[in-house]
Amino acid sequence: MASQPKVPDHVPAHCVGAFNLYKSPEMRPTPFGDPFAAVAKLLDGPAVFYAPETTRDGQGAWIVTTAEEQRNVLQDGASYSSYRRIFSSAIGEDWPVIPLELDPPEHGKYRSMLNPLLSPKRVAALEPFVTAKAVELIEGLKARGTSAEVMTEFAFPLAVSVFLAFLGIPDDRLMEFVGWANELLHMGPAERTAAAHKVLNFLEGMIAQRKEEPADDFMTFLVQAQVEGRPLTDQEIRSIAVLLFIGGLDTVATAIGLDLYFLARNPDRQQELRDNPAILPSAVEEMLRAFPSVTPIRTATRDMDLGGCPIKKGDLVSCPSMASSRDPAEFPDPNTIDFNREDNRHTAFSYGPHRCLGSHLARREIIIALNEWFARIPPFRIKEGTAPVTFGGFVFGVENLVIDWS
Amino acid sequence: MIIKVDREKCAGHARCWALAPDLFELDDEGYVLPGDITVPPGQEALAGRATRACPERALSIGED
Ligand code: HEM
Repeated sequence: MASQPKVPDHVPAHCVGAFNLYKSPEMRPTPFGDPFAAVAKLLDGPAVFYAPETTRDGQGAWIVTTAEEQRNVLQDGASYSSYRRIFSSAIGEDWPVIPLELDPPEHGKYRSMLNPLLSPKRVAALEPFVTAKAVELIEGLKARGTSAEVMTEFAFPLAVSVFLAFLGIPDDRLMEFVGWANELLHMGPAERTAAAHKVLNFLEGMIAQRKEEPADDFMTFLVQAQVEGRPLTDQEIRSIAVLLFIGGLDTVATAIGLDLYFLARNPDRQQELRDNPAILPSAVEEMLRAFPSVTPIRTATRDMDLGGCPIKKGDLVSCPSMASSRDPAEFPDPNTIDFNREDNRHTAFSYGPHRCLGSHLARREIIIALNEWFARIPPFRIKEGTAPVTFGGFVFGVENLVIDWS
Repeated sequence: MIIKVDREKCAGHARCWALAPDLFELDDEGYVLPGDITVPPGQEALAGRATRACPERALSIGED
């Protein structure tokens, strides 16, 4: 038998679960996999359990499965801190990405400054760019043939160019950015450290440039922004820019990819959207519920009970959105994908003060991407002889998604 | 009928506003304005749906 993973002394044996967000079989890269179904099964078990070695660095964490208990954790920034050095640890430094790794009330100062830039109304102004880019990419695919690997040829280029346009970075470095994001989020420690340095160097160069020559973009906004009546420090600016890089690059592409992966295997569901395009926004919400990609993680700031488990100060508490979004207490028939689902309070964008800052933009990007896709691409399927590969971990996703519309 | 707004709990998901833009007003940050909302007659069902759309449970239905 393999050596037993370490469990801290305060964790009672009956609280330890076998599931692991990285290493469980369904979480590993799997051809034609369904990691979401595997996580959904956790809802048959306890609301909270301890999983040894369930973070990227191999640490143990409490996994919270139900929507209600996740809400209790994620709405309570006083008992559960979000400071984890997700970025600075990669380069041997110690600073928070902002606003994600600041706790209230400190968090609110920065969040209030950033909110107006990505409010539902402001996002509307970005839509023409998103639409034009989606159309350009899809028409490019059609000009090249009748099949394409849609992650690298559609989902990533779309999400990344929207993101670059928002930040004010020229499109010609697009694939370089995609590479950095991939190394940062999905590779081992050495690649992660190297990528972190590349991203920081790039952003620092850009900050310096925007100080010299202001433009009409997010980086210029940061350079000119005030918090508590003073300009942001360079350290604050890079802490914000880095987080947008991590948060906005890979997640939107992943969501588009997971939706196409589902639709390509379910021609009847494609037809449903073709017959009734008006349901697309609600279908996108439902697919965000069924296939969310992110797992918020917190650190307990005190000893407490959560769902009958003894949480100790310093313990990690992990809230996979793919679990809470399949909670039958919250969503009737959670494993049925119902494009007309009512009361769809899904958790793809988390709960509480750290609710995804980019959620309004992300929603519009996904809706526009699918809308333009359906307007231009006839019924489609997974290309015969190819096998898309799904994976769990830090950000769930799918790769090698070759779609055929011949 | 009124909608009670727990502004402390609002996290700016804006799902209420997406469903019922005439009932809910957002501030510049995209969060619901504080204060209870009086529901015009005939819009009770919409108000109920928009209230149930809040992921944070920041909205509830009350009597006026
Ligand atoms: C479908 C796409 C997306 C998903 C599923 C997603 C998911 C999430 C989740 C679950 C959180 C909360 C993390 C936590 O509480 O620990 C979050 C936070 C955040 N997201 Fe997103 N995100 C997406 C797109 C975006 C985009 C496009 C941007 C940038 C424009 C973005 C920027 C952020 C930022 C800055 C935060 C931190 C907010 C704070 O701490 O106050 N996200 N996201």
